[in-house]
Amino acid sequence: MSEHQMRVDWPACKAHGICAELLPEVISLDEWGYPIVHEPVKGDVLAMARRTVKACPTLALRLTQPPPRHA
Amino acid sequence: MKAVATAHVAVHNDVGLVPYVSEGPALLAGIADGPGLAAHRRRLGPSPTPSAEALVEIARAVDLRGRGGAGFPFAIKLAAAARRKAVVVVNASEGEPASHKDAALITCSPHLVLDGAAAVAHALGTREVHIALPSEFPAIRLLVEKALRERAAAGERLRVQLHDAASRFVAGQAQAVLQLLAGRENLPVTAWQPEAVSGHRGRPTLLSNAETFAHIGYLAGVGPQGYAAHGTADEPGTTLLTLRGDGMDPEVREVAYGTPLTDVLDEIEMTRPLLLGGYHGTWLKPAQLRGLAISRNDIAAAGATLGAGVMLPLAEGWCPLVRTAALVDYLAGQSAGRCGPCRNGLPAMAEALGALVHGGGPVRRVEELCGLVVRRGACAHPDGTARLVTSMLQRFPEEVDSHSLGTCRHSREGALV
Repeated sequence: MSEHQMRVDWPACKAHGICAELLPEVISLDEWGYPIVHEPVKGDVLAMARRTVKACPTLALRLTQPPPRHA
Repeated sequence: MKAVATAHVAVHNDVGLVPYVSEGPALLAGIADGPGLAAHRRRLGPSPTPSAEALVEIARAVDLRGRGGAGFPFAIKLAAAARRKAVVVVNASEGEPASHKDAALITCSPHLVLDGAAAVAHALGTREVHIALPSEFPAIRLLVEKALRERAAAGERLRVQLHDAASRFVAGQAQAVLQLLAGRENLPVTAWQPEAVSGHRGRPTLLSNAETFAHIGYLAGVGPQGYAAHGTADEPGTTLLTLRGDGMDPEVREVAYGTPLTDVLDEIEMTRPLLLGGYHGTWLKPAQLRGLAISRNDIAAAGATLGAGVMLPLAEGWCPLVRTAALVDYLAGQSAGRCGPCRNGLPAMAEALGALVHGGGPVRRVEELCGLVVRRGACAHPDGTARLVTSMLQRFPEEVDSHSLGTCRHSREGALV
């Protein structure tokens, strides 16, 4: 199963904090309410991660594939 | 190593920001003849017109690295950008306040930078060339315009669009420069792809530092063998350094890779802490300076990077913690304020560091904030600030202890920075 990475568009993020509510397995909040992405998105939470991306009020989240490994 | 003329040429650039530029072995050779096109052509011959394949190959042969700070291999970037409708961007905006090397190049050898831009544009099969300039130094723009007029008069017209970057630290960051080109606010935004893949208006964009283009101009002119006449087998060529760039007697020097640090710093400076790589750089202890050379490998082994070549020896009598706290105050003020962790974290870091330095506040809080801002912004401003602070904690544990106890021996609390 390929891993995805949750990435944050930092200038877009306005610390609503919904992502940490919906996806606590991957995201928590710092002392100012901004997301801390702890780990890659694995298969069992992938569907919820996609819903979290859609639920962000400022559309500041993206699910990306890990970058291709350089030789 | 070759003997290099280091006599000061005393080049003033009208605005007084680079009091001294020394004659150098390659890029800054012959600068005493002035910045004119005729002298430049006598030195290096016609403007090179390499193919993309040839330019990638020679850049790879000498392992040319970008000189904006990150040190990314130029050949990889060029190969990635070598697609239809490419754009060339010369970043001469030099946002780092202690760096003057790009200004020195534009002042002393503008045609070398323009040769590099023309060579890359030719290789990529494009006519779209942009140059980002520092708006706080309008003389730099005038010098570029003069050089472009000279080329046009000599039948070597190079069409270039000039842009004035805002006078703030983060305005020179790659994505911020692309925003400027697109007519938007000159601030960093999130990059989902490298600019060589999707840059200016989504087109493949070769954006590099002005010094990198000067190296391309020189390399394409003299060839890889001529280029490797300076430097070491592992690290051919030269690099530009700005010494004491925020002090009273700043100097820009070109040195070959492998040059001992003792050729660059004086005896007293060799016994002082050194901030290497600028305000986003890394502190080194005096003991780490002995035996060190201007070499990416040596400097990496010491746990630092050369960055954009800024070297700031700590003045005598100063405490590195007091100096760092002052720099972090400045850097916190330079946050664009767009990304939450930077907008909140940098002022908090400045406060925690101030508490540590002046009132024995907890080190733990400083470390915690460094961890909280890294990789959490559109640009590397928070990362660079955390790197500076982390290196201070690593290199000067005794000073950290003495500040915790309020017994620092050498802080000049009242002095201006």
